[in-house]
Amino acid sequence: MKTSGKGTGLNRREFLSSATAAGVAAVSVTQAGDASARDAVAEIAVMPTEAQLAMEHDDPSGYSAEQIDDYFVENPGSDFMVDVIRSLDIDYITTNPGSSFRGIHESIVNYGGNQNPELLTCTHEEQAVAMAHGYAKVAGKPIAVLAHGTVGFQHAAMAVYNAWCDRAPLILLGGNHYDAVERRPGVEWAHSALDAASVLRDYVKWDDTPQSLQHFAESMMRAYRIATTPPMGPVVVMLDGHLQEAGIEHTMPSIPAMTPTQPPVGDPSAIAEAARWLVAAESPVIVADWMARDQDGIDRLVELAEVLQAPVVNLRGRLNFPNTHYLSQSRAQVAKADLILGLELNDTWGVVNTIRDRVHRIEQRVARQDARVISIGVNDQFIKSNFQNFQRYYAADLSIAGDAQTTLPSLTEAVRRAMSRARSRTNADRKMRWQESHAKRRADALDAARYAWNASPVSTARLYMELWQQVKDRDWAMVSEDRQQSSWARRLWSLEKQYQYIGGAGGAGIGYGAPAAVGAALAHRAEGRLAINVQRDGDMMYVPGAFWTAAHHRIPLLTVTHNNRGYHQEFMHLQRMASRRRRGMDGSAWVGNALRDPEPNLARIASGMGCWSDGPISEPADLAPAIRRALDVVDNGEPAFVDVVCQPR
Amino acid sequence: MTLTNKTCAIIITATCIALGSIRAPAADGDDSTTNGRDLYVSHQCWQCHGYEGQGGAAARIASIAYPFDAFALFVRYPNQMPAYPPNLLSDEKLRLIYEYVRSIPEPPPLDAIPELEAGRD
Repeated sequence: MKTSGKGTGLNRREFLSSATAAGVAAVSVTQAGDASARDAVAEIAVMPTEAQLAMEHDDPSGYSAEQIDDYFVENPGSDFMVDVIRSLDIDYITTNPGSSFRGIHESIVNYGGNQNPELLTCTHEEQAVAMAHGYAKVAGKPIAVLAHGTVGFQHAAMAVYNAWCDRAPLILLGGNHYDAVERRPGVEWAHSALDAASVLRDYVKWDDTPQSLQHFAESMMRAYRIATTPPMGPVVVMLDGHLQEAGIEHTMPSIPAMTPTQPPVGDPSAIAEAARWLVAAESPVIVADWMARDQDGIDRLVELAEVLQAPVVNLRGRLNFPNTHYLSQSRAQVAKADLILGLELNDTWGVVNTIRDRVHRIEQRVARQDARVISIGVNDQFIKSNFQNFQRYYAADLSIAGDAQTTLPSLTEAVRRAMSRARSRTNADRKMRWQESHAKRRADALDAARYAWNASPVSTARLYMELWQQVKDRDWAMVSEDRQQSSWARRLWSLEKQYQYIGGAGGAGIGYGAPAAVGAALAHRAEGRLAINVQRDGDMMYVPGAFWTAAHHRIPLLTVTHNNRGYHQEFMHLQRMASRRRRGMDGSAWVGNALRDPEPNLARIASGMGCWSDGPISEPADLAPAIRRALDVVDNGEPAFVDVVCQPR
Repeated sequence: MTLTNKTCAIIITATCIALGSIRAPAADGDDSTTNGRDLYVSHQCWQCHGYEGQGGAAARIASIAYPFDAFALFVRYPNQMPAYPPNLLSDEKLRLIYEYVRSIPEPPPLDAIPELEAGRD
């Protein structure tokens, strides 16, 4: 905590009562400018320091005690709140400004000097939360979001839900006015709620409404710990307007220590049993989803997979396994396996089964009937009832509660112990088989990328491979998901470092892409990495202000659009419905789905936000030079944007 | 008529064997392929298969030597894609689409695309 204003050991009220004891006459003398009388007062009362005077007013002697009490506040509660936030090593706070948190806003800027945390100006609360979401997945730690507890939280809700589904830690700080008689008429009532956090409670791990600064300090420690304990997720701490704005009148509150909770490890006897099953299996497969939090997670999974010579299927939650490793295999391996080891799966049922999108939704088992399933994860440790992202129930044959990344070393060790010589001897054959399969997958992907290579609009394969040529020798990281571009990054780029691919929105809520990319790019900026965002056009139309934030805060980010002129997924849904009803979509599929007439000029939107931009580009030959020009801009520490009109997928 | 996946596969294989699988691209500007491309676009085939049949949300259909009967079987009795019954897409129109798909030129070979050739390592 800064000490300005505290050197005398007096708070504002104590100073005022001293001045009052010296007599009203002294004040009036001072007003008259009598220096000797002022000196006399100084002998009786403890006078404020220069710093205190500066905080109160340039010339406080021009005010009566009552006026000072009415106009000024010393040692506001929100200064202490900043100290608490700073103690948690929270580097940034994303915000769209609002009056219900004006107290802490001022404290961050003036008291904290806008450093650690630094405020990042956002144009929408959905953007602010999604930026924090993207940041957390790269930095491995949360930042905070400041928002109105009412209108701000309602704007933020979609992005919070995405973060919840995606297990991303972030701390929402919500302004609110709890004392009704203190509220000014009008907006302060509209921006107050009895239970402001309730609009988010279904999809945050925890929330609290502190009633004192000490309460706030302890709640923040608890909030941080809950948010960062797997399964990670968002938390909410409310900030009462009065608590922020009033001065600290009594004992200075203290900041407790924050001790992180170590992630839970699976039960040793269950791990030993899992190891025996894995070693005994003829064709085990490992399926990982939200498993690796950092490079250790990837390295540990490589070790286990190599000991077993078992293929690994990487689902979309995080990059759990290098796609260049020969044991990286397709999901088709699930159907051939006699044992499936699921690591941090959110949807075990959906790995083992499927339901086709037909009139009658008949479930089909994808896995072999005799396949056994082992599940290791923390999913059951924290679920809520209302929103159904926890997916369908599945009775795994062996279900182990524990953080998979933390549990992997003991599982690998148990596998080594259980491995017989005879079993070890089979590894050479298995390795050869998987190497051949991996090489074939890569050859098939390269072959598939040839098709429509010279097409206009640009093929998604060409989009990715033109990018790859120019980034592959740099320290790069994708900050977007490639699922809707035929997964070309995962098929043809070399994804080896955990930070190179951070998955998607989690809750499939559109509007995540642009702001999460900016937040992730911010985290990469600290490491000097090139952040690459393949931006979908429909997503960009939600919160394009994210590009203004990137320009304003000098966040280098290469954005290349996959602009297919519409909400393409919905084209396909509409088509399916029309065919199912034997009506057809001859020429009418655009209705409700297309972004045309007029076509949004995404490059001009980006440049309007202060980003360098180029495009729209439809000819593939124009793409490489545009990317080169954009990289020059990014290398100068600025965001750059290239709009590319593409094939649908 | 309802067909299982397996039955479809058997019928298609048998049809392919019976009819042969020689791909004969139609000439550029041919009326049938022009009309076929218009139908391919208006019936939204491109949404899943791409403007040049390269695939995307669904499988590649360019440069695959289906005889028309097999192609029609896929469209009428699909596994994953929506079914297109004759009242939505007549045999005549379907054949025009088929002609267009067959006319899509072969893509350049891998060694003619440096960006992909480099990826062979």
